[in-house]
Amino acid sequence: MMSMSSLNEQSSIALKRTVIIAIFAAVSVVLSLVEMYIPVNMSVPGAKLGLANIMVLTCLYFLRTRDAFMMVILKTLLTSFMFGTFSSFLFSIMGALFSFAAMWFLLLVGRDKLSVIGISIIGGIAHNFGQLTAAALYFGTLNIFYYLPMLMIMGVLTGIAVGIAVRYLIPALSKLSLFDSFLAKTS
Amino acid sequence: MKRGDMLLIGLIVIVALAFLVPRWFESSEKNHNETPKVANITVDGKLFKTVELTKEEQIIDVKTEFGYNILKVHDYGIEMIEADCPDEVCLSFGFVERNGGTIVCLPHRVLVEIEGIPGEGDDVDVIVK
Repeated sequence: MMSMSSLNEQSSIALKRTVIIAIFAAVSVVLSLVEMYIPVNMSVPGAKLGLANIMVLTCLYFLRTRDAFMMVILKTLLTSFMFGTFSSFLFSIMGALFSFAAMWFLLLVGRDKLSVIGISIIGGIAHNFGQLTAAALYFGTLNIFYYLPMLMIMGVLTGIAVGIAVRYLIPALSKLSLFDSFLAKTS
Repeated sequence: MKRGDMLLIGLIVIVALAFLVPRWFESSEKNHNETPKVANITVDGKLFKTVELTKEEQIIDVKTEFGYNILKVHDYGIEMIEADCPDEVCLSFGFVERNGGTIVCLPHRVLVEIEGIPGEGDDVDVIVK
């Protein structure tokens, strides 16, 4: 009896995880779509709001690293299939992986020193850095890094916005019963 | 926001400005006539065309198997004015005139790089790099 109920509980958590990953990935695709229709002229090439990062950061907060990783891969694949080409997929995945690695590392070591705002700023800049690195490798020129300082300044601004959104989102999601079983682990 | 965030933001802004501020000075005291520049346009790693950056307007059509881009040379610089790529990031590069300046159109594999004509007036940029 005992093992039966714990098995049930385990599979229910696994199911919840899968559902959460799917929902978060879907929401981040929608956010990328919404972002395309927001007419903000950043006047810096490659700069964007990075609204999808809201979901990635929230995912890193609630779920295990590998689940958050799955979500990032899923989101990047979906976004590229819908709006991009194969080459743009290579660039987005590079940016997404850099950003994920940077935020994961900061959550691991700097959780008590940095808030989600600082982490989202680093995530955004790491995304830009990853994409520029991909472009530099692809075209074989380091000149592209010329745009990094401008992107860093923009990254601070968009990172603050994303961070504030995450700060409101995490407590709101914590109230949902769906997340009950995950809160015990994260806190 | 924690103290760490503030430090982080300060650090990033300082590093970024350290790169940006010298550029502003540089661009305010440049002299076009002394250093003629060219733009190398490459598509998929192969040189497509080299154009001299003149004051007069030139329109360059870059029509390849990957897509269609239109570049415009004027006032000693170059600008991407039209492209049929999906993201149109290349249009946001704007007018580029500085040595080492680049315009990239990822979906079409187009790269535009500006460089000084070798042997004609060495640029200070080279030393900084």
